[in-house]
Amino acid sequence: MQDTLAQFSDALVERAAVAQGFVISIRCTRFQPRSGTLWRTDVAVASEQVAPKTEEAEIVLADGKVAQARVAGRDRGTNVVAFRLQQPVEVDLPAAVEPRLGAFALVFGADGGGGTIVRMGIVRALGPAWHSLGGGRIDHRISLDLTISSAEEGGPVLDASGGLLGMSTAGPRGRALVIPAATIERVLTPLLTAGRVERGWLGLALHPVALAEAITAEGGRGRGLMVMRVSRDGPAGKAGVLAGDILVSVGGAPTGHPGDVARQLGPESVGQTIELRLIRSGSVLTLAAMVTAHPAR
Amino acid sequence: MTLLVAIVAADPVRRLGLAALVTRAGHQVLESHGGADVLLVDDVAVCSDGPPVVALGAAEAGQAGLLPCDATAAQIDAAIRSVAAGLIVRAADPRRPGFRAIGDEEAPLLTAREIEVLAAIGNGLSNKAVARQLGISLHTVKFHVEALLRKLGASSRTEAVHKGLKQGLIEL
Repeated sequence: MQDTLAQFSDALVERAAVAQGFVISIRCTRFQPRSGTLWRTDVAVASEQVAPKTEEAEIVLADGKVAQARVAGRDRGTNVVAFRLQQPVEVDLPAAVEPRLGAFALVFGADGGGGTIVRMGIVRALGPAWHSLGGGRIDHRISLDLTISSAEEGGPVLDASGGLLGMSTAGPRGRALVIPAATIERVLTPLLTAGRVERGWLGLALHPVALAEAITAEGGRGRGLMVMRVSRDGPAGKAGVLAGDILVSVGGAPTGHPGDVARQLGPESVGQTIELRLIRSGSVLTLAAMVTAHPAR
Repeated sequence: MTLLVAIVAADPVRRLGLAALVTRAGHQVLESHGGADVLLVDDVAVCSDGPPVVALGAAEAGQAGLLPCDATAAQIDAAIRSVAAGLIVRAADPRRPGFRAIGDEEAPLLTAREIEVLAAIGNGLSNKAVARQLGISLHTVKFHVEALLRKLGASSRTEAVHKGLKQGLIEL
């Protein structure tokens, strides 16, 4: 009878063997190979921030088979790029599991030569839904206690039971984050049909500012967002927002941080009229802007 | 510790600027390579089997110190001291900021007036011109600029503009 440590090791070996069925390498000429996850029989996902900026790529499976794929859509907001495979392949992706603080996390990637690589860590911090700099809503903040390279990110992250946590992504200083499986499922539908995820847009460049005490009473909080630039044809510009105005609420929600605005600009906001409260020359002004879809970048 | 630094630069103006910066950091600038502790190279390829090299804006990986061409004075000084001590210096890759939350890195909270001053010096205005444009006294402008440098942890006006506006602006 084996001791606990050997059993533990054997269990990890088993998980790695299973993961080989959906860890992929993404190759295309002139670019470094990247890691990815075979998500459905004809769909693969990878990390958008490091994915090659091309339309076509080769997907290398663990058994060495190569499948041709095209980029179906990219979403900078959730860091997901979706590839559509020309020929479906077999895949048995495990069911998604809820992340738990302190749980083991196995982080898989591809080494570019058809091999699989794996790291082990734990969920070092777990938080509620958050908004990325690109404006995407991520269902959970899952950060791991390890760092990953650009070549590795985009692969699957499994928990100890072999359940799917999501896709690995390098955060600031290479710290590994997990884009939850639920978030990827949610953005895949628009990515595969429209090639992008619609997101509301006001056409403002904002910078947090401290509000003077005299106007804090009006704004309700000690901070606001100063409008540094207004896109002329953007919704806020058409509504009459000027550079120098201080935004104190959007849609009734106070805006002390840029994330407060991003929360109001989800896909459902497109086409809606939203109330902007601003401080201009010391007095409060209310304008209505019709949110449009973020222009493609 | 004072080091003897020789400077090679394609552009004579850049060389003057680097020489001033190196002198301010407490080093001595040499006119020739002989006897130098460190060779500071700007935008030219050198192969040296002499003193260790700090190269600005260079692509080849052979040198002890490699910095981007817009490295700060503090970075250049630190690199000179480090390569003289036998260490290898590389700038952290700025092209890989990582996937992060919106407003994650808490930007220093500037006042509206400080942002106006920052934008004005970003347009290349002198303190006097800023005072005229904003209708405030020169003394007040200096006060705002000092506060800006302190809050942004910047050592020069250019660095303050770079840090303050380029990193703080979030488009929605």
